Amino acid sequence: MPVEANTLHEIRDAIHTFVRLETCERAVLNSLPYQRLRYIHQLAMTYLVYPGASHSRFEHCLGVMELASRIFDVATDQRNIHRDLRDRIHYHGTLEHNYWRRVLRMAALCHDLGHLPFSHAAEDTLPAGYTHEDLSLAIIRGPEMAPIWENLKISAEDIGKLAVGSKHYPKPLTDWETLLSEIIIGDAFGADRMDYLLRDSHHAGVSYGRFEHHRLIDTIRILPHEEDGQVLPTLGIEQGGLQSAESLLWARYFMYTQLYFHPVRRVYDFHLKQFLKEWLPDGKFSVDLVEHLRLTDTEVISAMRLAAEDASRPGHVPARRIIRREHFKRVAEITDADRSIELDAAEKLSTELIGLFGEDAVFTDRYTQKGKGIRFPVLTRDGGIEWSTELSDTLRRVPTFTVEYIFVDPLHSERAKRHVAAFRETLHGKKGER
Amino acid sequence: MTSKEQITVLLDLAVELRGHGSWTGETHIQKATYLLQELLGLPTEFKFVLYKHGPFSFDVKETLDQMEAVRLIDLQEQPYPYGPKIAEGANAQRFRASTHTAQEHLQKIKFVSRELGNAGVAELERIATALFVTLDSEVAPEGRAQKLVQLKPHVQLQDSEAAFVRLEEIRNAAIQAGLCANS
Repeated sequence: MPVEANTLHEIRDAIHTFVRLETCERAVLNSLPYQRLRYIHQLAMTYLVYPGASHSRFEHCLGVMELASRIFDVATDQRNIHRDLRDRIHYHGTLEHNYWRRVLRMAALCHDLGHLPFSHAAEDTLPAGYTHEDLSLAIIRGPEMAPIWENLKISAEDIGKLAVGSKHYPKPLTDWETLLSEIIIGDAFGADRMDYLLRDSHHAGVSYGRFEHHRLIDTIRILPHEEDGQVLPTLGIEQGGLQSAESLLWARYFMYTQLYFHPVRRVYDFHLKQFLKEWLPDGKFSVDLVEHLRLTDTEVISAMRLAAEDASRPGHVPARRIIRREHFKRVAEITDADRSIELDAAEKLSTELIGLFGEDAVFTDRYTQKGKGIRFPVLTRDGGIEWSTELSDTLRRVPTFTVEYIFVDPLHSERAKRHVAAFRETLHGKKGER
Repeated sequence: MTSKEQITVLLDLAVELRGHGSWTGETHIQKATYLLQELLGLPTEFKFVLYKHGPFSFDVKETLDQMEAVRLIDLQEQPYPYGPKIAEGANAQRFRASTHTAQEHLQKIKFVSRELGNAGVAELERIATALFVTLDSEVAPEGRAQKLVQLKPHVQLQDSEAAFVRLEEIRNAAIQAGLCANS
């Protein structure tokens, strides 16, 4: 077979205009595991609420690769490396730099290969102890990808480390590997976070997720974090990028409140999980790679549409709730004010509603935002380093998003609402008594 | 352990550490929880991995985030490079009044807070990493100090050796107090 010339390819992208990759890298894009991502919705069934949000993991991962490469190029530019770290960073022009740049790009591209149909919504339906990151790692290490890595002359283990990070990789990462992994999946300026905010916001048609990412990336620096005499390289920014970082972190907060935790979106996730538990063998997704790669949203939607119209099929009831939009209704959202009186308000109200309508008619949804990422080092204009939270009142005030919703079967929603009103009256009456 | 019980342990630990003069930042809570779980056998069920500053649990971090969100803890910002101190939040007292920590758990929390209360983050990192290495059955006892240096190259060999000595002191004190098995 003639060897294809190694040239640069450009892919049009709704967010970054062009995503560029070399011929040898394109083999990853053309692989079966990567092509499967075309059929995995980025935001599960959010399109049932925001019709435009039908984009896929395929384009998101391309975007993450593009942004991770830009961050890496800025942060490892010799002119940008802090004097205390010059001997610890592989800067432009070195062999190590070229090797790790390729590894970083491929890790960014492959970091979501293990996603189940409907992305995060279905995560609970993996066998206990498994996460989609475990599957991503298994695919990266697997036979389908091995010849591609060999051709690229990079190690599957190195790609796996950066793609899943310290939390999911079974062995310790070096400081350098940790740093590169943070470029992809870090809490503060990870390329994954930047891309999903920009992309989800664009496709859903909401503007909350936008921020000045070009400026932010230009100011990202690797800075020394010294504590008790130990110096570790850490991702931070130059002071000039602080406002862009503020806007990113607020964008994330608003996207959580307005899009990711839209109550109807959440309840569709719930009904999807109900369907999957009834439809899948033993109620769980397989962790066998062949089986994993066979299933996408397409197969699940097809089964769901059939089940919705046929009471004899497994998952008929939840499928019908989704396809015919007969979903549970939100009857309560527990607020900070409620919790300030009764910390377990959600649990108590939920127990009461279950007593009235039965366990199958009530769903309590609780979530607290993870990895707020508001504290990072900032290189000040006089060459010092300070915490972002010392320099920015705005960042200190970014709340941790937390939500507690209670939903009930629409058959009971009016009665449930009356009960919730009475519950609240009693609860806030208690406050008056205190 | 339920998530409410995990929160109770972390809140008790924050209070006890502070009572023993600790800075009580996230690193202090992380390492003390690691010793509680892996040395004293408190079944907190947090998953730990070896991270930048030694054993670290993303589960503990997420639980602390959750505790901050519902005002069980407050983070008191400190100047760079120090991380924030963790203090009781507005809802902490009511939460503690509504929960109960088993006496056996409380004894272990008090013990670990007493032993680690004066330690700085670097020492905590070394002690916790020494325990991590000790629990690795593939590392022979005579190679442990060297292994720690290999995992954490910024640690000097003599500091590594001292960490194993200190860990052994803590373990012996725990055995004497009947808080961990002699094995």
